[in-house]
This record gives sequence, structure tokens and C-alpha cells, in this order.
Amino acid sequence: MIYKITVPTVAEDVEEIRVLEWHGAAGQDFRAGELVVELETHKALVEVRAGQSGVLRRVLCQDGEWAKVGIPLALFSDDAVEPLPENAELARDLAVDFVVD
Amino acid sequence: MSGEPAAATERLFFREAIGRALREEMRIDPRRIVMGQDVGAFGGSYREFEGLFAEFGASRVRDTPVAEAAMVGIGVGAAAAGLRPLVSVTYMDFIMLGLDPLVNYGAKLRYKTGGRLTAPVIVKTTSGARGQGVAHSQCVEAWLMSVPGLKVVAPSNPADAYGLMKAAFLEEGPIVYVDHKRLFPIPGEVPLAATVTPLGLAAVLRRGTDLTIVTHSFMTRTAMEAATAMSAQGVSCEVVDLRSLAPLDIATVSASVRRTGALLTLEEGQVTCGVGTEVAAQVQQRLGPIPVARVGALAAPVSSNPVLEAACLPDAPRVVSAAVALLGRRRSDAPRPVSRKS
Repeated sequence: MIYKITVPTVAEDVEEIRVLEWHGAAGQDFRAGELVVELETHKALVEVRAGQSGVLRRVLCQDGEWAKVGIPLALFSDDAVEPLPENAELARDLAVDFVVD
Repeated sequence: MSGEPAAATERLFFREAIGRALREEMRIDPRRIVMGQDVGAFGGSYREFEGLFAEFGASRVRDTPVAEAAMVGIGVGAAAAGLRPLVSVTYMDFIMLGLDPLVNYGAKLRYKTGGRLTAPVIVKTTSGARGQGVAHSQCVEAWLMSVPGLKVVAPSNPADAYGLMKAAFLEEGPIVYVDHKRLFPIPGEVPLAATVTPLGLAAVLRRGTDLTIVTHSFMTRTAMEAATAMSAQGVSCEVVDLRSLAPLDIATVSASVRRTGALLTLEEGQVTCGVGTEVAAQVQQRLGPIPVARVGALAAPVSSNPVLEAACLPDAPRVVSAAVALLGRRRSDAPRPVSRKS
């Protein structure tokens, strides 16, 4: 199964975030609870942690790039060789936990 | 991205645009200092002063007690004595405490001393309602527009937040720089090159033919939302962002109203003696009688209760209904063709 991480709705009025840092590259396994990516709003840092295990397959929005709420940031899969869809929007949402600091 | 020509802009949060202007200006001139509550190591309530304390140190980035009259007074005095201070008054409501030094001393100093002394001080303050109740929500910029010797600017986006701050540092007299709580989450493109947004120059954000909406600060977003909604109903709105309230660019506004034939003013503050009232009066002085509607907050304090807060503030549906009523009135006022008797 292919999954996506999207920009979460972190606070009222926040329409767009900046990717601060990915904590891994394509091909890396993540277990539930591990930090995947840090995002930056105007005021806060947002830690996005995997809520299920999976393989990070493709980063769609690199460190320093901007993305609006709801836009896919990366694709994950259960299995490292599953073919990725052309359209990331179609993937299911990966379970994630996020903490606004 | 690689392969594309180098961009002439960078995308910044609103606070970063303010911070960049401050950093650049403080590097140019050691007389430029910042003072206010939590502007030092904390970096400002909206993080707009982040990095300044580390770069310029405690003598140029000074934390103050919660004492706005003293802060503004010291800022005006320091400016008269040769510094170029920026005083941060976190919430605009508390500028009221600093009005005596700002109005009676800062704004009049050049006149009173026959030009021997001036007070080049910037008072930066944050207006607007966002859940913080009766004394942390107000937009009182209209009060300041009537003070001779005082300038007032109110950016609506990161590029102007940067450009108007650069302009403020070039001023030889006091200037109030009004930003807005709800603009801080919004990023935007800012020129990479040092760029000054001239004072007294409005920006036409959207071209239209039926109605001119004149607004400033966060309400430019409400105006654009209303203009989009009305365009679906076949009404074409022009949207003018004043950017600078004193001096006021009435030439741009009048030229727009001459084309569209109707004026709607929109502000988050009160309409009575508001920015829109002044705009409407000056436009009518130039153009004669024209249909005008003023939209602003209801004549009530802004509550911290979200339902009451929303009820008090102007929003796009309220702008649309005021515009529809205004244009309906214009049509009914128009001379009717004489009907031919059959």
C-alpha cells in the first residue's frame, strides 16, 4: 500500500508552511513514533512523527520549500519496491502524529 | 529549482520580511536601535525581531518594562537626541498610553523648534482581532491620521511589510507602522534587492469597472475575497490597498472611482471618523457627489467570545451585501429614460 504525508492543519489562519528538515531520505524505514519531518509555521515548529511503520519512498517538497495545507509532502509504502502512483494525491494518508512546539 | 532562472524574489513569512528590513537598516546605521517588550533574546511576540539581539547586542536591541508611555517617550527623546529608534508597542490598544509623547512631543517637535530638532522614531504596533478581547484587538489607526506631523503606514503583505519598514527608516519625523495579527501567518514574495515602498502610494490589487473598494492591512484579503465572490455575480470590483494612511494617496483612489463611479470603503476599525470616512470625503471633494458605502466593525467592543468577535468584524459577505445595496441604489438614482406614450 502507498501512503502520503500531507501538510497538516496546525493552527487557525495557517495556510502555508515551510519544510524545515527531513529526518531521512528515500529508502529509509520508519517505525511508529519516529520523527519524519519538521515543518515551520510563522510562529511554531511542527514535528511530524510516523503513526505507523513504512518506507519513505519519495520526498515531494524539499527542505526550505513551501507547501499549502493539504498538499502531499512525501510518499511512503509498506514495501520498499511497490510502484509509486503518478498522482500522489490518490495515495491514502499515512497515520501521523504531530506536535506543535 | 535547478534549471530555472534565478528568482528576483524570495518567499518569506510576514515576520521575516519585517526582520530582514530591520537587520539591513541596523547594519547600515549604528544609530538604529530597537526597543520594546520581549524584543531581545525572546525575539518578539511574533518572532519578528528574531536574530537581532544576537547580531546587534543588548545596547541596540533593548527589552523594556510594560510601560508604553515611557517606551514611546524614551523613543521620541532618543530620536531628538540623534538616534533612530524603533519602539515596539506589541498591541495597538496600548499605543494610547504613548500618545502624549508621540503626539504632543514627537509630531510637533520640528514645528516647535523651527526645524532645529526632529524626532525620527518609528512606533511599530500590531492591530487586529484574533481571540484576544476588548483591549488587545483594536484598529485605531484612523485616530493617528489626523495628527499633523505624524505619518502612518499599514502593510498588507510581506513585500510591503519589508518596503514600508525600509521607507520608515528614511523618515525625518515620527511614523507609526501598523501591522496585523492575522497577517503574520501569511507568506509572500519579497524582492531580493533592497526595495523601498514609497510613502503615500496606494496599490491597485485588482482591476474592475463597477465599484472601487478602498481598504488597507488585513482587510485587503477580505476585499479580495468579496471581489471574487461578486465577480461570480457579474459585478467587477477594483480593489485599492492604501498601504500608507498618512500621507493618503487620494489621487490613485480618485482616478479609480472616476472610472468605476462608486466607492466602498472597508476597514476593521470603526467607520465613525474612520479611514473610509476620510477617503470618501476627499474623493467627493475631487469628484463631486458619488455613491459611497462604508463598511467597518460594528459600534461595539471586540469580544474575546469568538461568536461575538465574528459578529462585530466585517467579512466578505457583509462587504458583498453592502456593495449590492450600493450598486442597486446607484441604478435607482440614475436618470431614467423618458417612456414614450403609445
